[in-house]
Amino acid sequence: MRRHERPVFAGGALLAFLLVWEAAFRFAWVNPVFISSPVQVALAAVEVLSTPEMRADLAVSGTEFLVGYLMAIAVGIPLGLAVGWSHRLYYALSPFIHTLNTIPRITLLPIIIIWFGIGIWSKIIVVFLGAVIPILISTQAGVRTSEERFIRVARSFNASPGRVFRTIVLPGTVPFIFTGLKYGSGRALLGVIVGELYAATAGIGYFIASAGNAFQTDKMLVGVLIVVATGLLTMEGLNRIERRFDVWRPRVGAGE
Amino acid sequence: MSGMHDTGLQIPAEAQPPGRSALARLYLRFEHAILGGTAVLLFLLFWQGLSMGWWADLLQPVLGDDAKALRIRPIFISSPTRVVDRLTQMVASGEIWDHLHASGLAFGLGGLLALLVGIPLGLAVGWYRRLGYALEPFLAAYNATPQVVFIPLLIIWVGTGMATKVLIVAMVTFIPLAMSALAAVKTTDPRLLRVSRSFGSSDWRRFRDIILPTSVPFLLSGLRLGVGRAMVVGEIYASTAGVGYLINVSGASFQTDRVFVGILIIAVVGLLLTWGIHGIEQRVQRWRPVAVE
Repeated sequence: MRRHERPVFAGGALLAFLLVWEAAFRFAWVNPVFISSPVQVALAAVEVLSTPEMRADLAVSGTEFLVGYLMAIAVGIPLGLAVGWSHRLYYALSPFIHTLNTIPRITLLPIIIIWFGIGIWSKIIVVFLGAVIPILISTQAGVRTSEERFIRVARSFNASPGRVFRTIVLPGTVPFIFTGLKYGSGRALLGVIVGELYAATAGIGYFIASAGNAFQTDKMLVGVLIVVATGLLTMEGLNRIERRFDVWRPRVGAGE
Repeated sequence: MSGMHDTGLQIPAEAQPPGRSALARLYLRFEHAILGGTAVLLFLLFWQGLSMGWWADLLQPVLGDDAKALRIRPIFISSPTRVVDRLTQMVASGEIWDHLHASGLAFGLGGLLALLVGIPLGLAVGWYRRLGYALEPFLAAYNATPQVVFIPLLIIWVGTGMATKVLIVAMVTFIPLAMSALAAVKTTDPRLLRVSRSFGSSDWRRFRDIILPTSVPFLLSGLRLGVGRAMVVGEIYASTAGVGYLINVSGASFQTDRVFVGILIIAVVGLLLTWGIHGIEQRVQRWRPVAVE
């Protein structure tokens, strides 16, 4: 019993949750429009997932996520390395980095939409802005926590700065970069959803928002479930990757 | 965030030979502020120049007509002086206080709700093994999801208005608090717990004297993360007053100055809150021996 306690309790809780939910719908404890029911959601899922519209929405959201995230990687890692390496550059850029880190990206949405319209590009920019900061900060933290003794030894033996960077700083930073990539992906997903809920013409967030506006709770919950599943999968995948690199490292990073 | 202010790579003590001029020493002492301030000034100057067309005029001889692209109409980017003008005007008319009041209320109530639910829940899930087994999957799924996805659902349930805003703030703030409370209990030194149990201490006693003090730094970092998330999210989607509403409505009507006033307010409030919590964290950390983890 003890050995299987965890799955038993976890499964039991999930089952109980679904049963109560279904019962609340069946016996109309709450207005059924408000909550739908597990069976209804499952039926809606079968119906919705086979439509070409849903495939198009997923493709749009996926593109926004990928392009924005890749842009964030392309900017965040080199800039993080540079800012970690040169303290002058860090001093100059730190007001911007801290401010961007503090403002919820959502507040920038209206202005981003003025600049880029409500199409795919405004969402790509939101995703980019969300993901680039954690990646940058983690990378910087990685460079800064390079083992000082190694660097001193290397310098004593006349290693060039380029050499020190390549052979000591960069390898030490890799695990931090992965931590940043993990937090960044969470923010990127958030960016897709936030942006699409706010103003869009396609995408999974748009699907959820329009189903919500039409009080189609079951369809909306299908969308929510897709997002939850994507979040869980991304998190789990990146946790695995991170653990491979993280075994010997203390945790530092942008938080989340 | 902890590695932010130390000197990592540079080893300044050795790198700077003694006997520099007084001016150079002064510069080195305030280097961070000087470089940071200069960069901000340059940025503001560049921005002002874009909207006033300075750069377009300046580069006209070199680029010819292409230089016109550097003159951007204020409706798109506003300008620092316009933003300041608008801000003083809004302060003078008192409009700004209405927004701050509405946002502050939602933020405060939502944050309070999140504290009251999140921390006890996180502690309980960490403390009672079976409860943890049952609830951890839900928490993990909720944590991995962008919680804003539940906003449309919330709007169906409660409509739009103050209650929704408070709930949205609570919804996004609650999870970092719960997760850090959970982590706090989980990382408590098991030796301390075993010793106190050997001496026959009660559950409550162990909780109060060991778990709770260990949790404080975790809870504060949870709070710091929560604060960042909580601001404004609700208002952008569903509201009729508040800073988020100001940004949203002004953006929709191309009043860029007002959008930037809103962003400025949020940036300042955010930085103040983050620094405040960071300061508390430092104070709380001070007495702590470097032991666990």
